[in-house]
Amino acid sequence: MPLIRPTPPPGTDPGQAVPAARLDAADPTERRRAALDRAYPDGPAADLCRRLPVENEPAVREAILTALMTIGGPQAVDGLLPLLRSEDAALRNGAIEALQKMDRDVVPHVENLFADPDSDVRIFAVNIVEALRHPLAPAWLFRLVQFERHINVCAAAVDALAEIGTPDMVPALETLTDRFPNQPFLHFAVRLAIRRITGEAEP
Amino acid sequence: MRETTPISPGEFAKFQEFFYRKTGLLFTEAKRYFVDRRLAERMQATGSASFRDYFTLLRFQASGTELQALVNLMTVNETYFYREQYQFKCLVDSMLDEVARTKKPGRPIRIWSVPCATGEEPYTLAIHLLEHWAQVDAFEIEILASDIDTAALDAARAGIYAARAVQYVPMTVRRRYFTELGDDRWQIIPELRRSIEFTRVNLHDRAEVARNGRFDVIFCRNLLIYFDEHSRRQAAESFFDVLYPGGFIGLGHSESMSRISSLFNVRRFPDAIVYQKPR
Repeated sequence: MPLIRPTPPPGTDPGQAVPAARLDAADPTERRRAALDRAYPDGPAADLCRRLPVENEPAVREAILTALMTIGGPQAVDGLLPLLRSEDAALRNGAIEALQKMDRDVVPHVENLFADPDSDVRIFAVNIVEALRHPLAPAWLFRLVQFERHINVCAAAVDALAEIGTPDMVPALETLTDRFPNQPFLHFAVRLAIRRITGEAEP
Repeated sequence: MRETTPISPGEFAKFQEFFYRKTGLLFTEAKRYFVDRRLAERMQATGSASFRDYFTLLRFQASGTELQALVNLMTVNETYFYREQYQFKCLVDSMLDEVARTKKPGRPIRIWSVPCATGEEPYTLAIHLLEHWAQVDAFEIEILASDIDTAALDAARAGIYAARAVQYVPMTVRRRYFTELGDDRWQIIPELRRSIEFTRVNLHDRAEVARNGRFDVIFCRNLLIYFDEHSRRQAAESFFDVLYPGGFIGLGHSESMSRISSLFNVRRFPDAIVYQKPR
């Protein structure tokens, strides 16, 4: 069976650079259409990544994120990662959601994200990794809880491990209660995670 | 046939949370028997020795095909007249009055039923409008009904149904809009069949969707649950494209647009929650 290339949207030629002008159009309807016209595999992620942080219209943002998820690839990931530091919660959450869908291309960044000096970025990294469909995700999160000093990052990782952790992780999870002795909410999260991992009945 | 190990309460809780997050379908302890049987079936089919093995496959499989296989098994593909009637009540009691207030004179109100399968939903819509919407004669109303399956569309155009499909239609209403054919079969009257336009549409094709024009209300019930997350998002973009500003979209009872996209506003009407394109 011959290979069939995906058909690019009408009016675009994947052999030529797509002009970015319309992404900056004054009319949001045109900008949204411009974003969706770029939504095909190997499409021009760089244009969209440039536009995303300055785009204020929610529907256009959504279209840019949809397009970036369709395009995928390292360029899209590189454009989205800096948005984890954005003060704009909607933009940040949009970036997290998009990165969660880019399993293969996010993987090379996991280690750096978990070593980021900003604990918020490390929490967002946990949010991304817990949703990845990657067999190493539990091991990455487990390693993080063993060395992480910030309680909120640990708590986020424990929450994630409740779903994807394995029984061999239980002894290390139990040590968290000694590392953070006066944090009842973490103790509760650890107990719940262990029950989920071992399959025990919940009270 | 190999025996699978029983699913523990903790494992069930973990599955319940994961499945709800992914699909919007919530199975409580009361449904344990239903769920356990289906999980055992899929564990057997995939050669999973334990629930843990199966859950790992479900959770990390890159293609997501096993999750889809499980969704198909957990959902009931049944269509009949007056299914999830509260949404039709919401249409005539809330949504359409709002649409009518901003509709310019002479412009039709356009409603899209997708996927329409063999026609039960669009005909129910039409009957509900004729029976219950006070302004029905003041507007030109167009109902477009689409599906990707052309055999289903042919059946919809013929409009012939078994008694089971029409069991919830009150007999007085049935007498007005159906002809009894005998053998427990009922056919939609010709005037009503002619009033609905049936077309083939592939929701994954933006251009094909756009060719049908714009709509005031879309019903897309119990379809997106069968799409992967990315396809759901693309479908939401297509619906946004073809809805007029202020237009509404109704989804199935287990589906939530808020989990798919932030393009739409949530509208809580007395009878149902629907989603609205911002004006």
